[in-house]
Amino acid sequence: MKHFYNIVKKEVAELVTKQLIISLVFMVLFFVSMGKITKSVEEGSKEIRISILNLDVNPYLQNILSIANKQGIQIDFVESKDVKSAIKEAREQKSNILLVLPDGFSTKVGKMEKVEIEIYSIMNGLSMQEAISSKVIESIIETLNNSITTSFIQKEMPDKKPEDILNPIHTKNFVILKEKTIPGDAGVLSALVMSQSMMIPLVIMMVIMYTGMLVMTSMGTEKENKTLETLLTLPVKREYIIAGKMVGSAVVGFLMTVIYMVGFKYYMSPFTSSPEMSTSLKDLGLFITPFGYVLLGISLFLAIIAALSMCIILGVFAQDTKSAMTMTYPIMLVVFIPFFLSMFKDIETLPLSLRILVYAIPFTHPMIASKSLIFHDYRMVLFGIAYMIVFVVIAMWIAVRLFNTDKVLTAKFSVKWKK
Amino acid sequence: MEQAIEVNNLVKSYGKIEAVKGISFNVQTGEIFGLIGPNGAGKTTSLRIISTLLQVTSGSVKVFGCDVSKKAPEIRKMISYLPEEAGAYKNLSGKAYLEFIAGFYSDNTMIKKGMEIAQLGERIKDKVSTYSKGMTRKLLVARALMMSPKLAILDEPTSGLDVVNSKGIREIIKDFVKSGTTILLSSHNMLEIEFLCDRIALINNGMIVETGTPQELKAKHNVNNIEEVFLKAIV
Ligand SMILES: Nc1ncnc2c1ncn2[C@@H]1O[C@H](COP(=O)(O)OP(=O)(O)OP(=O)(O)O)[C@@H](O)[C@H]1O
Ligand SMILES: [Mg+2]
Repeated sequence: MKHFYNIVKKEVAELVTKQLIISLVFMVLFFVSMGKITKSVEEGSKEIRISILNLDVNPYLQNILSIANKQGIQIDFVESKDVKSAIKEAREQKSNILLVLPDGFSTKVGKMEKVEIEIYSIMNGLSMQEAISSKVIESIIETLNNSITTSFIQKEMPDKKPEDILNPIHTKNFVILKEKTIPGDAGVLSALVMSQSMMIPLVIMMVIMYTGMLVMTSMGTEKENKTLETLLTLPVKREYIIAGKMVGSAVVGFLMTVIYMVGFKYYMSPFTSSPEMSTSLKDLGLFITPFGYVLLGISLFLAIIAALSMCIILGVFAQDTKSAMTMTYPIMLVVFIPFFLSMFKDIETLPLSLRILVYAIPFTHPMIASKSLIFHDYRMVLFGIAYMIVFVVIAMWIAVRLFNTDKVLTAKFSVKWKK
Repeated sequence: MEQAIEVNNLVKSYGKIEAVKGISFNVQTGEIFGLIGPNGAGKTTSLRIISTLLQVTSGSVKVFGCDVSKKAPEIRKMISYLPEEAGAYKNLSGKAYLEFIAGFYSDNTMIKKGMEIAQLGERIKDKVSTYSKGMTRKLLVARALMMSPKLAILDEPTSGLDVVNSKGIREIIKDFVKSGTTILLSSHNMLEIEFLCDRIALINNGMIVETGTPQELKAKHNVNNIEEVFLKAIV
């Protein structure tokens, strides 16, 4: 056990190089600053100030405007009586929008006659921030329209509810998914399933790629520096050497993924779904149970071990860091296939032969697991776990066999074909 | 005296290439035995087999009575092997490297001993990636000797070292034998061979041409130094 720990420690020390730390710090900084930018764009849109040039004499309009005020929109009135100086004043008030309410506005509105108001958007550039404010105008007008109609109905038809007249049709949504019928909106449902089934495979893909690449790098550098020769003559079990390499790479790979994900989450935070959506999905029964998370964890763990043992086997044939890097490409490809499929296609709809091929890739299983687990369908997940156990046992057996022969030192991978 | 190494009709092929073609020699406990021969003669291959790194194609090799194909783990506890042109872990300091190796043995005093042999001074605390070729070699020689193994297998121990450092290493090797270590080494430096070795084997094209003490071989070929023995025996 002491020997094993010693190897893990050395692997971690060897893998955590200055370059690795620098690239990690750089990536995190990138994500954080990207997140800051998107956040400031979002916040900018909330800070909408409106100036109003009121050419109307009737104070009735105050009621309507107070509704808009409740929506969190800052409203300022300008003193000027003509558009030109009103714009100047609005600029001074740091407003984004100037509304010009014509004379007789309230009277016409009170009679439900068509009325025209002028809207001046004050842009300081053509950035995203400015673009968002035009959407705000629409919503303001909608709010105004709504409040005008509501107050009209209240006055004219006191026995009716304004909502019923505005929206006589109410909907009740159901989604039929496979055999299940559940109340809910298909759009909301697929949005959540998408976000769940995208994030989890993304994380899985990253972990597998990093750990695989790290263990290959470790094998490659050991061969290049001929440190493997020394290591193999030391009084330490081959199994410990292999396991130490795998655990060392997994630890560093996991850490890298966590760091990336924290950065990524920060970057994604303005876009993530609202809490109401996920609670409504909880009501629909579409969530991963604690047992489901345990299964997902086991599945991911096994996929990592499978990737590591495959990489160790490939690493035996590497001669140096360069060829080790080249050899990670097939592994990446094998990780990408299930990742893309799980994102864009339901694997169960593929033709049988392709499906078998995809299921034969161990990494497929944790990636599709999240989707099955949301629907509490454990069969495929359990099958995946069983399959990966068999896969890992065979791969580890091959790895140990290779390390116990001199193949680990003499085997060569050559892209050149014999004449 | 107990035999440290017994090699009998050892053959090793790499695919179609037969690198070692049936060699036999014995190394006595407590002696320094040198393997000399031209490039590609099969020295490294033989040393790697004795170090349990390569498997024998045919023949047998015993280290302190243990067969390399059957009792490799036992042999690994008694030997240390210094590969030719090897490096150390680049991201570790010299000291951390010695500590890593020491972690596989129970004796903790060997780190201090290793640092003495390496003679890297304060630089032992620097990363291996900042070392020169010779500094790395000294660290590796120290690594191979610090655990006072029963048998040290050194493939060109002083290659890449300057005159002063080579001399230092040679003296350390000579001292080690006094404390009971048996040494098997290969070298291209005939002065070194003559200074160090109790007995030598001349290997050429995968076969042993001559075995004996330097004096015996010089007398046999009627020459003044081993270099001439080498040239005469091989041509
Ligand atoms: N991994 C390998 N695969 C194929 N052939 C090899 C391999 N290693 C060595 N050989 C061949 O075996 C023969 C003996 O090589 P070896 O390295 O034992 O020579 P050497 O005596 O140590 O030479 P040098 O003095 O140059 O170090 C050479 O012909 C070499 O090409
Ligand atoms: Mg050699």
